[in-house]
Amino acid sequence: MATTLNPAAKAGAQVGRSVPRLEGRDKVTGRAEYTHTMRLPGMLHAKLFRSTVPHGRIKSVDTSAAKKLPGVLHVVTVDDVRKVLPHPYYGPAFHDQPILADGKVRFVGEPVAAVISADPHIAEEAVQLITAEYEELPAIYDEVEALDTNIFVHEELKPAGTFADLKHLKGAKGTNLALDYRLRRGDFDKAYAAAAHKFEHEFKTQKVLHLSFEPFACICDYRETGVTFYDSTQGPSFVRTEMARLLGWPENKVRIKVPYLGSGYGSKLYIKLEALALALSMIARKPVKIAYTFEEMFYQITRHPSTFRIKSGVDKDGRIVARKCEVFWNGGAYADIGPRVTQKSGLTAAGPYDIDNVWIDSYALYTNMTPAGALRGFGVPQLVWAYENHTDMMARALNMDPVEFRRKNLAVEGKPHATGQMLKDHPVDKVMDKVLERMEWSKPFDKGGSGHIKRGRGFAIANKAVISPTTSVAIVNVAADGSATLYCGTVDMGQGSDTAMAQMVAEILNIPAEDVRVTPRDTDVTPYDMGTLGSRSLFHMGHAVRRAAEDARDKLKALAKEVGEPEGSNIPIADLFQKRYGMQAGNVIGSGIYKPDYTPPAPGTGQSPNVTPFWMVAGSGAEVEVDIETGHVKITKLVNVVDCGKAINPKSVETQISGAALMHLGFSMFEKMHLDGGQVTNASLADYKIPGFHDLPSVLESHYVEHDQSNGPFGAKGVGEVATFCVGPALANAIDDACGVRLMEMPLNAEAVYRAIRAKQGKPLEEA
Amino acid sequence: MIPFELAEPTSLAAAVKLLDPDDETVRPIAGGTALMLMMKAGVFRPQKLVSLRKIEAKYSGIAASGDGLRIGAMTTLNAVERSADVKKHAPVVTRTMRTLSNVRVRNVATVGGALAHGDPHMDLPPVLMALGATLTIVGPKGERKLPLEELFTGYYETVLDKNELISEVHVPSQGAKKGAYMKVTTGSADDWPALGVAVVLDADGGAIKSARVVGSAATTKATRLKAAETVLNGKTVDDKLLKAAGDAAIEESEFIADVRGSMPYKRELMRVYVGRAVRAAMQGTGA
Amino acid sequence: MTATRTITFTLNGAPVSADVKPHHNLVELLQTHFGLTGARETCGQGLCGCCTVIVNGRSVSGCLYLASFVDGADVRTVEALDGAGKLSPVQEAFIEASAFQCGYCTPGFILMVTQLLDEHPDPDEEQIKHYLTGNLCRCATYPEVMDAVKLAARKRKAAASA
Ligand SMILES: Cc1cc2nc3c(=O)[nH]c(=O)nc-3n(C[C@H](O)[C@H](O)[C@H](O)COP(=O)(O)OP(=O)(O)OC[C@H]3O[C@@H](n4cnc5c(N)ncnc54)[C@H](O)[C@@H]3O)c2cc1C
Ligand code: FES
Ligand code: FES
Repeated sequence: MATTLNPAAKAGAQVGRSVPRLEGRDKVTGRAEYTHTMRLPGMLHAKLFRSTVPHGRIKSVDTSAAKKLPGVLHVVTVDDVRKVLPHPYYGPAFHDQPILADGKVRFVGEPVAAVISADPHIAEEAVQLITAEYEELPAIYDEVEALDTNIFVHEELKPAGTFADLKHLKGAKGTNLALDYRLRRGDFDKAYAAAAHKFEHEFKTQKVLHLSFEPFACICDYRETGVTFYDSTQGPSFVRTEMARLLGWPENKVRIKVPYLGSGYGSKLYIKLEALALALSMIARKPVKIAYTFEEMFYQITRHPSTFRIKSGVDKDGRIVARKCEVFWNGGAYADIGPRVTQKSGLTAAGPYDIDNVWIDSYALYTNMTPAGALRGFGVPQLVWAYENHTDMMARALNMDPVEFRRKNLAVEGKPHATGQMLKDHPVDKVMDKVLERMEWSKPFDKGGSGHIKRGRGFAIANKAVISPTTSVAIVNVAADGSATLYCGTVDMGQGSDTAMAQMVAEILNIPAEDVRVTPRDTDVTPYDMGTLGSRSLFHMGHAVRRAAEDARDKLKALAKEVGEPEGSNIPIADLFQKRYGMQAGNVIGSGIYKPDYTPPAPGTGQSPNVTPFWMVAGSGAEVEVDIETGHVKITKLVNVVDCGKAINPKSVETQISGAALMHLGFSMFEKMHLDGGQVTNASLADYKIPGFHDLPSVLESHYVEHDQSNGPFGAKGVGEVATFCVGPALANAIDDACGVRLMEMPLNAEAVYRAIRAKQGKPLEEA
Repeated sequence: MIPFELAEPTSLAAAVKLLDPDDETVRPIAGGTALMLMMKAGVFRPQKLVSLRKIEAKYSGIAASGDGLRIGAMTTLNAVERSADVKKHAPVVTRTMRTLSNVRVRNVATVGGALAHGDPHMDLPPVLMALGATLTIVGPKGERKLPLEELFTGYYETVLDKNELISEVHVPSQGAKKGAYMKVTTGSADDWPALGVAVVLDADGGAIKSARVVGSAATTKATRLKAAETVLNGKTVDDKLLKAAGDAAIEESEFIADVRGSMPYKRELMRVYVGRAVRAAMQGTGA
Repeated sequence: MTATRTITFTLNGAPVSADVKPHHNLVELLQTHFGLTGARETCGQGLCGCCTVIVNGRSVSGCLYLASFVDGADVRTVEALDGAGKLSPVQEAFIEASAFQCGYCTPGFILMVTQLLDEHPDPDEEQIKHYLTGNLCRCATYPEVMDAVKLAARKRKAAASA
């Protein structure tokens, strides 16, 4: 059943081939369409007036001058929104976020009013004419303090009802705690008390953000008969459900179209601008576009800052026997998906180690800052930062080689994880070996001479459980000429999923991947998918796509039989349709749905035999040169190794590894959102620096170990986040190796390193 | 950006006339790279911009003569970067250009804009100051000359009146002097500097006859570090001397704290980098 | 209200005119008047290169360039590179080297690399890094871009000697 529409492409062995990106031509010619640059006829523009105080009651908002500016069509506050959407609150975990500030503001930058005009410059000018008066309230910023304070970000908690473990928080008052997750295995207290060596440390991570190069954008075109969104989103199905809920409409009247995404990294999940765009389009009765500037991204969503208190007991042979993890997640003013980060990542807080007695408490906390959500790793990089520094510190204190100490304690396949699930397809040892081999770890290492440059190297290893249980659906449509179209809701925001999914379809239908068309995401035609997040797509959607393609293949076989073809016939598909329908007519439609098995963790202990369908494993090795006179760190080598099951598209896997690692290099070395009294002081690319060409390590290596994922489609699993995990701690461990200082908080910038060096010399840098 | 008016006079004299000595919201615009940033951030909301792009061509060129270079204010940084005359008479400037911003900005930004803006983070002012450059300034009453080191009065502040324009910079030839500019970043490698140090040395072998040292970025304005110069003048370079020069430099600098570093940290950077800049100049590896 | 003026210029080889206001920048001009979205604004600060446009043969950041300034100029955008439907060697190299992920920064990179190779047909890694310091990629496809530049240089050389 071969058909070749694209003469250059070849059928056979589609999986495992570095197929060039299907969308490549659109991207290199500048013709790929993104929401941020899209225009609809008659479209209006909205600009937002934002809070200047971190926490306050709104006394008044004066929009009169703005309304008078010629060209301004509407100036909207929450009172106007209520007239069209009576319950203007949204959120995936809690319905805590108002479409526009409602009585209170909870962070600097929170949208308070919106101006609509046909000319975006006029809307911008009008925003400058709006004034607001607030009764300022004391604000809370620190995640640990937020647990025990009398400053409350929300008067009352409002769980959305979607997650069972949040139901008990309904109506809770006088708290900033949006979820407390617990895991208990063995008896921590007893084992810790008996341990020969005890270690206790506290680590922190800073506030960083995604900064997708296509800033947030959404266009809503509301009609009484139905509403269409053109949306830069990673989760069109969720947006559809949530917009239908706000409208009180059935889902089939809500359509979400997703052009190319100028990436997301977790920022464009759940509801971002959609609810506001909906309200504004309902008010204006025209299509309305909201397109953020770069600066505005600092007021939408960030990664969670965190504090991690970790305690370990080690026996006399260097085996870790007890570990307690207390993790505080700084969720900002609205919960977004924070409670899920708290739980789903919380369960891996003890690391890829075989420890009999584990105690984990993980807290999601509200504070008066920009909300926090998922960012490439769903909380795991913050956890690894702590436990992999801690591991090195213990090894050094015990006079053990940090690598050997890890090897002694690794949870290899067949060992139970802290949740009780038996580890399978978890090649930590292989990943570790590969890193060490590429780092030439066994060879002597030059630590630098007596000058001001000191050299060091470091290692880190980690794992993550994919979020579960989630569902994906796919459709494969074979046309009468034999060409195949795939309908799947996974959003290709640059990770190459369209190409990989097409390869799977092609493999099964025995056609070239280049001939499979993947339809742009449009909820009117693409079926349900939980969301493009957490490295879940290649596995979950991959299975759905595989099943849909198999279904189509089986139907084609049945068709062949029906028209009297012998078993095993390789009649071209087009001829098959011709025979059956007398002309080029008809379709064969295959569908597939996938949801993995899952056992919910037991309340209170977090124990479950099946908490995740697959594990991701990553390791990093770093070599650095530290200038001890200034604290500057030069990364001379960075090796990142992950386990990807089977590489469906090897080139895409490599690009994901280096892209994730370099993004995390920025978070590790210098990225930081600076806040002063709740105000962001570096909300621009000039002051919030991200890695550029010159920040690349002198040597950068990306490798994967292929270790069949036994329950994965074609043995594969997701790989979008995994290379972010270990970069930070590997660098911190290398810095310590170079000059004997340990940084407990990211970023590892020159000043932080220099201050640590001075402190160690007993000459701390004095303030002016 | 919010609306404003744009005037495009065809002569420098006409441009001066269009400016208003008392109106903050009327400003000249050259390449616009610095002004646009301020306008986009809403820090500057002009009523009117007076474009210098159509003024006489003679203000956008480089001429070399016996006593050095004359660089018109409207000369782009790219033209400076590529100029054989600049490379010959002031090689330290050519080297500095390589890490000054990026190709697109250099293609548009002008020398006049880089100087008049008064931004202490810019790289060109300390280098030209170390070379002893002089400005020609044109106002309603005619022309005046001003040593560049007298231009800056504070953070984004200069002695220029609102209706004065820089027309030209005169840069004395570097000759046999050795020069270096050290740009120290603390964020990503392409960040604005946390510290800039420019040195121009009249040296003979390892001995410094006279030195000009300028600090920038870490300080409220590009500042000539005369105490450090005094330490260096007439001495032979060794570690002790360089440390003493660094110590002297921090005593006379006014530091500012920002996202690129605290005051005490920038002080330490300066202490180290004055010496490193001198070494780089002596070895001819600066910038 | 500020005055609208009519400017005329050459856009990708064709004479055009447009009514602009003083506060419009070049990216807006191309997007709203000509439907060209290959130059797009991200940082708005001259740092990332997503808005790259070639004016009179030199690359500029469209986000910091007033639309009025292109009056009388020769303007070229990424959309001109695949004239007659054929990709340029740099575009081919970017596809073959997988030198993009989300693609938002890609047109800017492609224009800058084209300029780089016009000036330095055989650049070394240091030259490449220096020329591209003003192009950022949040997906961090830098290693692949480095490969693409070298591949493009080879392709251009091969085409020239063919
Ligand atoms: C992305 C980016 C990165 C940068 N990085 C660096 C860097 O690393 N190092 C560095 O040194 N600089 C850097 N710069 C700054 C750049 O050098 C300046 O923006 C540029 O030199 C200003 O020149 P312009 O012609 O564009 O000035 P404009 O923006 O036109 O004007 C700047 C100021 O000078 C005034 N002005 C302009 N010309 C005259 C004149 N002839 N007489 C009187 N006043 C005048 C204007 O009114 C305005 O106040 C960077 C800029 C950008 C956008
Ligand atoms: S948008 Fe113009 S350089 Fe970033
Ligand atoms: S490919 Fe996404 S920003 Fe470069």
